[in-house]
Amino acid sequence: MANHADTSTDAPVRKRKKMSAGRILAWAVMIAFLILSLFPFYWMLRTALSTSRSLSSDPSSLLPVDFTFGAFERVLGLATQEEAIAEGGSGASVNFWLYLRNSVIYAGAVTLGQVFFSAMAAYAFARLRWPGRNLVFGIFLGALLVPPIFTSLPNFLLIKNLGLLNTFPGMILPTFLMTPFAIFFLRQFFLGINREIEESASLDGAGPWRTFFRIILPMSTAPITTLGILTFITTWNDYFWPLLVGNSEGTKVLTVALGVFRSQTPAGSPDWAGLMAATLVAAVPVLILFFMFARKIIDSIGYSGSK
Amino acid sequence: MATFNFRKAGTALAAVTALSLTLTACGGESEPAATNGGDGEAVDTSAASGQIDYWLWDNNQKPAYEQCAADFQEETGVSVTITQYAWDDYWSGITNGFVAGTAPDVFTNHLSRYPEFVTQGQLMALDATLEADGVDVDGYQEGLADLWVGQDGQRYGLPKDFDTVAIFYNKALIEEAGVDEADLAALEWNPEDGGTYEEMIAHLTIDNNGVRGDEPGFDKTKVAVYGLGLDGGSGGGNGQTQWSMYSGTTGWTVTDKNPWGTKYNFDAPEFKDTISWMASLADKGYMPTVEAVTGQSSGDIFGAGKYAMITNGSWMINQMFGYTGIETGLAPTPVGPSGERASMYNGLADSVWAGSDNKAAAVKWVEYLGSAACQDVVGEAGVVFPAIPSATEKAQAAFADRGIDVEPFLVHVNEGTTFLFPITDYASQINGIMQPAVDAVFTGQADVDSLDAANEQVNALFNG
Amino acid sequence: MVSTRTLEHSLDTNRKRTSDLRTALLFIAPAAIGFVVFYLVPAVRGVYFSFTRYNILGTPTWIGTENFEKIAVDPLFWNAMWVTVGYVLLNIGFQTVIAIVLAVMMQRLTKSIALRGALLLPWLISNVIAAMLWFWLLDYQIGLFNQVIEWMGASKIAFFADETWAIPTIAFVNVWRHMGYTALLVFAGLQTIPKYIYEAASIDGASEWTSFWKMTLPLLRPVLAMILVITVTGSFQVFDTVAVTTRGGPVNVTRVMQYYIYQKAFGEGQFGYGSALAVILFIILAVLAAIQLRMLRAGESDLA
Repeated sequence: MANHADTSTDAPVRKRKKMSAGRILAWAVMIAFLILSLFPFYWMLRTALSTSRSLSSDPSSLLPVDFTFGAFERVLGLATQEEAIAEGGSGASVNFWLYLRNSVIYAGAVTLGQVFFSAMAAYAFARLRWPGRNLVFGIFLGALLVPPIFTSLPNFLLIKNLGLLNTFPGMILPTFLMTPFAIFFLRQFFLGINREIEESASLDGAGPWRTFFRIILPMSTAPITTLGILTFITTWNDYFWPLLVGNSEGTKVLTVALGVFRSQTPAGSPDWAGLMAATLVAAVPVLILFFMFARKIIDSIGYSGSK
Repeated sequence: MATFNFRKAGTALAAVTALSLTLTACGGESEPAATNGGDGEAVDTSAASGQIDYWLWDNNQKPAYEQCAADFQEETGVSVTITQYAWDDYWSGITNGFVAGTAPDVFTNHLSRYPEFVTQGQLMALDATLEADGVDVDGYQEGLADLWVGQDGQRYGLPKDFDTVAIFYNKALIEEAGVDEADLAALEWNPEDGGTYEEMIAHLTIDNNGVRGDEPGFDKTKVAVYGLGLDGGSGGGNGQTQWSMYSGTTGWTVTDKNPWGTKYNFDAPEFKDTISWMASLADKGYMPTVEAVTGQSSGDIFGAGKYAMITNGSWMINQMFGYTGIETGLAPTPVGPSGERASMYNGLADSVWAGSDNKAAAVKWVEYLGSAACQDVVGEAGVVFPAIPSATEKAQAAFADRGIDVEPFLVHVNEGTTFLFPITDYASQINGIMQPAVDAVFTGQADVDSLDAANEQVNALFNG
Repeated sequence: MVSTRTLEHSLDTNRKRTSDLRTALLFIAPAAIGFVVFYLVPAVRGVYFSFTRYNILGTPTWIGTENFEKIAVDPLFWNAMWVTVGYVLLNIGFQTVIAIVLAVMMQRLTKSIALRGALLLPWLISNVIAAMLWFWLLDYQIGLFNQVIEWMGASKIAFFADETWAIPTIAFVNVWRHMGYTALLVFAGLQTIPKYIYEAASIDGASEWTSFWKMTLPLLRPVLAMILVITVTGSFQVFDTVAVTTRGGPVNVTRVMQYYIYQKAFGEGQFGYGSALAVILFIILAVLAAIQLRMLRAGESDLA
């Protein structure tokens, strides 16, 4: 007892000091990682505000070389071909807002479907009891290991045979119903839900459907929002699949359209300013989305809240 | 507890596999359109109408071709939809198109790919139609039209443009070195000591302390400016922009015959001596190593003022002359042991897909692309050298208007010192073997005689 | 009263037991369709192709286990294995440690959303662009980092080409891109640990360090297990970074498995051989995943 009394009077002081040194170290580490994460973005901004042709003349300058907004104009489709070529940029035409719309549709549809259907399946794997449950889950998990080389071409052929090439349904179909990651991710979180919750729900007469929709889902806003954001971002940045399946103006997504800024000829240079501007612009919608939902992820005391 | 029952997994997996295989066997995917190049039946192009798709990769040429398409539509009523894909995505797009049956009707073809497409039966043979339409295949720069005749003797493309290689140099650096630009055109090379060419390169190399390569105290580990740059790497089996202009002057030929050779000569002493010389140049610090150039394009590094000279192809002209603060000049490749210069000669052509559903319009478009009407437009844009001599002159004029004298590229065509880009079967596999093999010699990891083994591997492909 | 309740309850659970199957089937139906059509069937076809000689545009010819026999003696295959394993160890090792550190800091150090967003920023740009960007920043001749190195008096480093630096550099690029994202996943996992556990620990006088090792980590185990399986699997399949930068070179220093597979299957028209390589990769990944899940007892949660 006396011991406790001692520590309780000494402890705060000692702890604060200890935390102080530790905290400073922690902050130092945090700042180091922040710089590491952010510096390349500064570099991207600096390059995007330069002209492509003058970049080589001062490769390590930290400031834009030959300052211009030309790259952003190219990306947003506001520059004429002559202006673009004069700066050493790609002379391609970019119908920016259309491609943005396409990206939103594509990523949005895939996210909604994938999260919803995967949540249903994850719930079945985590909380319902049925024979062969773990076995089937293991098989589903195997999909994670399937090398993309096996799936890209056959899926492309399938979409083509269904006559869905260059349509949104064709683009979203393969990942609309599930990805192994989504199911795995949600299952792990659902596993951690306390059984008492479900038992009390069933005592109240709720069947599995109602339990799922009325209780489990609302409790899992944190992981579901997290998954939703992750899925949206991944799909937003997809390049190879939309390149295969969505080539018409009506379905071309931003990442594919902005491929014009990559090098046109073998061993040529990309239009660096245009490419960097394009990347920054393409990242803005996703960034906005993240900040909109960040509170949900971070603040939600989620389903431990029942405690 | 989530345990994994392997036996149960095995049985279940077997059942599912059996089910899937039956699904597969029932079809669901159509066989790719493996129509062969054809018995070369003529297609009636006078009835050409409708719409066709055309693909190309160079965005800089797109405006010129759009102009051609507009003119073509006025003449024939056929509308051409031009799509451009960046080089990196172009060939996978074409192959996927073949497989899915969605390939474009006409597309820009490249010598390194077209043999495989012919073997796979994806290209339409044009001879009969061209003959019926009275197209003159002799009106192109010499040798270009023959490149596009397959092993079966049928023609698979009409020449579009060609490229050669020359030396790009940094005028300021040359001047600083006290060298006259005319001297650069009079250089001589040999594989033993590099001749006056190596002397020049050494003189133009400067280390971090300002010491030149031919002065005492030169530090080869801290080079600021290289006398000769290196375009991207060791050049693998063809070294088009890296060393082919030297090996081509030794009397060495890549294959026993070109096109359609079946035996490679990578074990020949002339070739090995050339590669050894290149490696020695990097060793002495006059040229960057393969490791040093694994990174940004050689053009960008030239634009940063790190190379006094670099050999590169004519497709790079606009980029190399476009760098801010750099005044670029052109010189022809050096004269070699044969007493002459040499340059690899590459030509692009437009091909028609065998699975096209509008062959009449497709062939008509190819004929138009191969005619002076279109090639003049392309020439005037001043981006590449079109295949028809009169159009080449227009290109030369267009470049001259911008202050670029492209004579060092055209001298090979005019004097007949070109040699063909190697055309054989198994091109991609050969590259897969030769790229690491030549890389290894350049980096010093392997002795130059290791190329004998590589050569055997390559030739085994033809006997397998 | 009580006994009736219990009786009813047990009847209820019985009914629940059997009806769970029907419900479960309905719940997983959409996902199952997606799985079979877009993963299983192509995968089985892929396995079939591994026993054939096939160049995509022709018809496959059955050749039995010939591809696998060739693989066993293919020096490039063993090179690819060696290179890829080295890459995975470096990549996952650093990435997981950094992610855990960042996640803990995000939870305990600061609640600032701006900071968290900043850490996640690298993941918002595509793989391809990130690779191109670092390829430029770390370029031997005109990259910023080498300029600084030279300016400090040291000799330049061929980050992407040097034998000892190439794979670590590629691993670095991917760690840079994924550390924020992995940290977010770990962070979501940290959220599942109830606060009362930390309160109890601090009352008992445990330091931050001890409570982290003895409590946080063990409670994170299910989430960590999942993250590890996913990141290790993804790491083994690294492709974009190599395809956009070194393309397997110089010599074969960065020729990772997935790149070699693509080179064989699409580049050199040997789709059968490429499929056989992919089958081997699949088996390796399956074994690894099973081991990881077993070792980390991912199905249990120390909490429930």
